[in-house]
Amino acid sequence: MANGWSLVIGLIVIVVFCGVSWCAAPKGENQTVWRSTLILSAVACFLMWAITFLAQWHPLIQPIRNDLRPEHTPSHRAY
Amino acid sequence: MAAPKDTMFRSADMSLTQLYIANEIGREVVSALGELGVMDFRDLNSETTAFQRTFTQEIRRLDNVERQLRYFHSQMDKASIPMRSIYDFNNPFTSPSASEIDELADKSQSLENRISSLNESYETLKKREVELTEWRWVLREAGGFFDRARGQTEEIRHSMDNDDAPLLRDVEHQPQHGEAAADRSFSVMNIGFVAGVIPRERIAAFERILWRTLRGNLYMNQSEIPEPIINPETNEEVSKNVFIIFAHGKEIIAKIRKISESLGADLYSVDENSELRRDQIREVNTRLSDLASVLQNTKQTLDAELTAISRSLAAWMVIIKKEKAVYQTLNKFSYDHQRKTLIAEAWAPTNSLGMIKSTLQDVNDRAGLSVPTIVNQIKTTKTPPTYFKTNKFTLAFQTIIDAYGTIKYREVNPGLPTIVTFPFLFAVMFGDFGHGTILLLAALAMIYYEKPLSRGKLDELFSMIFYGRYIVLMMGIFSMYTGLIYCDAFSKELALFPSMWKWQNNGVGPNADRVEGYVYPFGLDWRWHDTDNDLLFSNSYKMKLSILLGWAHMTFSLGWSLVNARYFATPIDIWGNFVPGMIFFQSIFGYLGFSIVYKWFIDWPARGQDPPSLLNMLIYMFLQPGTLENPDAPLYKGQATVQVILLLLAVCCVPILLFLKPFYLRYEHNKARALGYRGIGENTRVAHALDDDDENQTLNGGRDSFGSDGDGAAMITQGIESGEHEEFEFSEVMIHQIIHTIEFCLNCVSHTASYLRLWALSLAHQRLSIVLWDMTMNIAFGISGFLGVIAIVVIFYFWFALTVFVLCVMEGTSAMLHSLRLHWVEAMSKHFMGDGIPFEPFSFKILLEEEPIE
Repeated sequence: MANGWSLVIGLIVIVVFCGVSWCAAPKGENQTVWRSTLILSAVACFLMWAITFLAQWHPLIQPIRNDLRPEHTPSHRAY
Repeated sequence: MAAPKDTMFRSADMSLTQLYIANEIGREVVSALGELGVMDFRDLNSETTAFQRTFTQEIRRLDNVERQLRYFHSQMDKASIPMRSIYDFNNPFTSPSASEIDELADKSQSLENRISSLNESYETLKKREVELTEWRWVLREAGGFFDRARGQTEEIRHSMDNDDAPLLRDVEHQPQHGEAAADRSFSVMNIGFVAGVIPRERIAAFERILWRTLRGNLYMNQSEIPEPIINPETNEEVSKNVFIIFAHGKEIIAKIRKISESLGADLYSVDENSELRRDQIREVNTRLSDLASVLQNTKQTLDAELTAISRSLAAWMVIIKKEKAVYQTLNKFSYDHQRKTLIAEAWAPTNSLGMIKSTLQDVNDRAGLSVPTIVNQIKTTKTPPTYFKTNKFTLAFQTIIDAYGTIKYREVNPGLPTIVTFPFLFAVMFGDFGHGTILLLAALAMIYYEKPLSRGKLDELFSMIFYGRYIVLMMGIFSMYTGLIYCDAFSKELALFPSMWKWQNNGVGPNADRVEGYVYPFGLDWRWHDTDNDLLFSNSYKMKLSILLGWAHMTFSLGWSLVNARYFATPIDIWGNFVPGMIFFQSIFGYLGFSIVYKWFIDWPARGQDPPSLLNMLIYMFLQPGTLENPDAPLYKGQATVQVILLLLAVCCVPILLFLKPFYLRYEHNKARALGYRGIGENTRVAHALDDDDENQTLNGGRDSFGSDGDGAAMITQGIESGEHEEFEFSEVMIHQIIHTIEFCLNCVSHTASYLRLWALSLAHQRLSIVLWDMTMNIAFGISGFLGVIAIVVIFYFWFALTVFVLCVMEGTSAMLHSLRLHWVEAMSKHFMGDGIPFEPFSFKILLEEEPIE
């Protein structure tokens, strides 16, 4: 479902979003504020998402659960 | 001249304008411009003192009116009559004519007289009333004293015969012995008395002094007045005592009188005869009731008068405040006696000139004057003030930047990107979906109730939060986003998508297997929550996240210095500062960022290789260039060579950064010198200083003075934008550049490390919310039965209160301060020039905001 191509697709989505916000920003004296805010927000959010995605792409460690005590039945949290 | 549109990106284009205003309409013109609020008037009479200026008389008169209005206000406070709020007026801001102001001044004068006379008589009456009340108390209490004292004459007499009696009293009383034995009446015993009222706290001192001065030769009786007496002057309650002192001898009585008066006691005459005393009480009572009705009437009249004033007092205050500001501004103008015109100089945004002109035209038309008001634009070498047109959304963000320093005229405004980067970096530290929601809701509530809140009186802390409500709004939105990325909501996981990990042994664990070919699509996998090694994973992730975000933020900020250098047309700043700086930064920290991303890109387990440690890689890169920690397992092929080249690049940039700019500037300077040019500041300083105060200063005027220097040297008008010309001093430039270089290189290291606070604070925030949950809600869930239900309800409120106050308010404040620091220090040091002059327009709106009329 989600693999390495997600990064490229995400990037394209963000670039398109930035392009659209540049053109579609409401005209008037606040146009600059609209443009800069929308584009910067999109870029910042994309960066954060992409970094998180990258960090989990090829993980070096696996989670080890710590809630395995006798009272926990195997059916607990068996999703 | 059409100026470019004013945006938040650069400060507005300003023009120095000169106004020629006919003397008759000076007041109206300034008042109209004050409503407009876009002109920053320069003081053209800075050498004259406040008393010598033209309109001092008017200002004094208005000061007096203002004082009267304040007096009404204080009287209203005293009578606790509320002032009609400024917001209840339909339009209190219409500018009144001069005659209306005169009317208002006369009215307030007569009102003041009336109020103060009413007040005076009220106070006199009140004083009279207090006196009568005190007298009544004295009369009432004295009866008892007399009776008791009469009974004691016997005792007094006995004591005189007794050898055990106090020595002093014995000696003093000895001569009258025979007399006293004869009759028991006071008058016959020659005993006089003094009766009065004294504040209770003085009674002890009073007794002691009397005892000492009269050597115990007195008989004193006192009792407390149960109800406090109100002092009419200060409106304070004082508790008092009634006293009556018996002593014999006229001189002693006189002495007692003096002592009691000096101690603040009020003396009242009381008759010894009980019949007469009863008459006196009756008389006092009738007088008191008469007085009460008169007082009532006076009070009613006064209150009615004040209520009438209270209805329009706020509007009067606004009018007078504006009027005073108008005259203060008029005092900055210079007056041309021959042409009977006022001449003003003001900075105004070039884009507002049209509006200013039409406003002036309006005023002229209304006054029916044939002479128009002339608006001239002047070319000048002075630095224009920095002005950003803000709205309620951008205002708080711009304030963050202005708090650090005033932006240089036309420099790139860091306030624009701050709208996003400030709340975003905050959110990286604060990331939690639940806490973000609380912030967002709080901000939305403040924005929804904007009007009532901005009118009401808020305490200091809340008014600060209210001022930054749009910052809180952005913070809330971004915190919700980063909370989703961190997969935290009140420290619990958010399972939005199926996990990429499956527990081994049919879902028992303890180890997990990767779901093949699937990466968790949004944020951190929720399965990391409550695992043994989640800190191991999230610390590595968050540290790298901080470094990468820091790199991005600093590169972005460094980029603005290029934009600035291009705008101000100083190519030396590009080649001497920006380019070597950027290469230095990227070859070390850009490379670090690249390595982090590259390491993530490679599937190390699939290669069957252990990834190299990035920390050691960076250390080896500096300590042993050309060698790797583990030469057999490089991060990529040719790693050693690439690192040597990068290091050499960085090292080469340091001397360029250090020497290029100062030596280039010296070369330029020497070249100009060799051609016979001279800097403007060097020999026209006197002419320049004169220009500064010359109201007819134009560019041509300035040129004339240049030409009249007469030494044949042509002038270069380079740097005409900056008003102040510094003489070129190589050593100064060099020292400046050395400092800049050292700072820049060291800061690259320390600032990158500084961004690690993003990791540290987000870790602390997450851990703290987990601890809070475990200590409260988790315990509550463990209790079963009916007790459990109660416990859950109680503990939930406890948990929620702590979440709001500790996690949202306190943690939020700390994260906000850290984000503030990242902007002021880490980002703004890369491009911010500062040293601008703030634009302070003459505006009634600002005036009323600064000194609100409550």
